[in-house]
Amino acid sequence: MQTPDFKGTHLWDRLCWAKENLDGVQSDYRVVYEDSIDECAKILVPDPNWMACALQGGILPPVWVYHELAKDEAQEDFKKHTRGYLLHETEPVGPMTEEEAIEYLIMKDCPSSVWKTYNEGNRPKMVICTKQQLPQTREWRNSWKIAA
Amino acid sequence: MAGKIIADTLEHSTAGSVTTDYVVNGSAKAWVDFNGSATATILDSNNIASLTDQGTGQYQFAFTNSMSSQYFSISTNTSNRDSSNAGVDRSSQGGSSSSSNFHYEICDITTTSNIDAVAGHASIHGDLA
Repeated sequence: MQTPDFKGTHLWDRLCWAKENLDGVQSDYRVVYEDSIDECAKILVPDPNWMACALQGGILPPVWVYHELAKDEAQEDFKKHTRGYLLHETEPVGPMTEEEAIEYLIMKDCPSSVWKTYNEGNRPKMVICTKQQLPQTREWRNSWKIAA
Repeated sequence: MAGKIIADTLEHSTAGSVTTDYVVNGSAKAWVDFNGSATATILDSNNIASLTDQGTGQYQFAFTNSMSSQYFSISTNTSNRDSSNAGVDRSSQGGSSSSSNFHYEICDITTTSNIDAVAGHASIHGDLA
């Protein structure tokens, strides 16, 4: 199905179109990361409807838009977003492969302190794997760490 | 978009009228239904980009369309996805410190420890960015 020309369309309306017209895509990919030495490993799971939007193209804003909004929110005097128009008026990104979508999602939803330096320490802080590679039970879940 | 209706007021033949502000501001801006046990999975949603499994009974959800601020309403619920004692002895809570995501936690009220969600649900009301 062809994505309508969504240039300038509110992101919420684009998501509503996708919900109505695209089937969800359950990805097998998972992103395991550690952002605190005192906490267990966290696991990022892509949403099936979001993944459908990413694969379809023409719906999601570029990831830098989220970084700009995060910068605004980090300001001490932040009360509410005044640049939400970036989500709606920036030209949507084109279709991605599943792997590109996971990279996008890492940059959107993982802390930048993890993905910017994920491989610079004594051991990796982040690993992309499939869900079949994760433990299949939740035993000792709060002690899970990325293996060296 | 095709099929667009622009209206400020909806009027019923006998029951009166309501401005469409009520509809726009009162609609849920995101919702999610997920399974937080085993390898956590989102079953269906709207305006959710990802789930982060943060440990036993602790989950974070990121929005695709962020909220306008960190102040929005989170309604949560948990169940067993069957008809037998659904959600008994479980308490679910939501919280947020960011406009881009919210936190969801489930507690066993007998042991007061976190416990994984077999079926977790949340809906969000508030203003979009």
